Amino acid sequence: MIIKFEDDIKTDFEGYQKLIDLIPRISKSIEKEIILDFSNVFFFEANLCAILATIIEILEKNGKIVKLVNFNNRVETILRKNEFLISYGYGKIFDNYQTSIKYRKFNPADKKDDNNFEDYIKEELLSKNDFPSHSKLLGKHITLRIFELYENARTHGSCDFIHACGQYFPKRMEKPLNVTIVDTGKNFQENVSEFLNETISAVDAIEWAMKKGNTTKTGDISGGLGLDLIFQFIQHNKGKIQIISSDGFWEWHRGKSTKMILNNPFNGTIANLRFNLNDNSHYKLVEETDDDWDNLF
Amino acid sequence: MSNLIVKNIIDSDIAVATDAGDKVFNEIVNYLSKNKSVTLDFTDISILTTAFLNAAIGQLYSNDKFSSDFLNDNLKVINVQSEDKPLFSMVIRRAKEYFKDKKGFEDSANSAFYDK
Repeated sequence: MIIKFEDDIKTDFEGYQKLIDLIPRISKSIEKEIILDFSNVFFFEANLCAILATIIEILEKNGKIVKLVNFNNRVETILRKNEFLISYGYGKIFDNYQTSIKYRKFNPADKKDDNNFEDYIKEELLSKNDFPSHSKLLGKHITLRIFELYENARTHGSCDFIHACGQYFPKRMEKPLNVTIVDTGKNFQENVSEFLNETISAVDAIEWAMKKGNTTKTGDISGGLGLDLIFQFIQHNKGKIQIISSDGFWEWHRGKSTKMILNNPFNGTIANLRFNLNDNSHYKLVEETDDDWDNLF
Repeated sequence: MSNLIVKNIIDSDIAVATDAGDKVFNEIVNYLSKNKSVTLDFTDISILTTAFLNAAIGQLYSNDKFSSDFLNDNLKVINVQSEDKPLFSMVIRRAKEYFKDKKGFEDSANSAFYDK
């Protein structure tokens, strides 16, 4: 079976849909070998490798063999720089401009991989010359949000692998940095419906989870701050946040939230954060009690 | 007063994972359960998440064993980078609300059960 993508694949509703639609389309086929043809794709936003890798993982679990062919030069170069194509027999290309954020997968059950994710963020972001472009503190805030997002995927998802990838566009005015984290464990809809003891739609479940203080945690460790801090930071940073879980798509960008329903459900969660690195704002968490450190508790 | 160095307990200079927070929580409880005062030292910790702090500090409110007064008298937190300090009060306030709600939920669940 050969599937030819019709055009470019970007980090937007249509882009997610194109990738997610592959799952039912391929799963229905009785053919074992699947060839994904990229000849019509002249722009593939590299952070989406985290999603493509997850989809391939799902298909391979169902016994399919997936091959990727006919890349245009520009797309191939980026996907070799970020090392996504290495496991498909392509060689590495050194990233002179340090704009790629490598594709990696992490096993949430393996404690060692917690340290590997820390090392990944250190190597891929903190050690880059251009990161952060304005202030150390901005870089620290961005890094923190990425760790919160990873930890959210790790504790809520309970899946085989968490896939991560990113891309930095230093020539664009906002100098956007995209970071995409994907897990295939329990999705927002399952977690929130179970917690609220009522079935709610996937998109409403995402919206519920993004509200301040809401958490589905019930054990001895409290929650409800990580996503909230991510969201608040993205708002101040004028960035973008997109969450896809089951058939729900939720996006916040420039003061506006958008809710849409995908053609097909994705059995897991995709979270994409777009940070604006061309940001001179001074970031400070507002909390009144930090001067009363003696009576912290 | 004993000094617990977070960096040594979690073997990292970034305190981000829930499991790492759990390790720190267990160390703190070890001392506080024996009524021994302890200092939690964040020297060289460059990044701290709420996920880590929920486990390390927030979890202290998970049962009624330690009151706020007891914690203020027996647990000192030192060498936290100034921009990270608000995270502590955020996590502590959230943990107090969370465990209050949880207790309320469990109490009402129990009373419903006992009414049967």
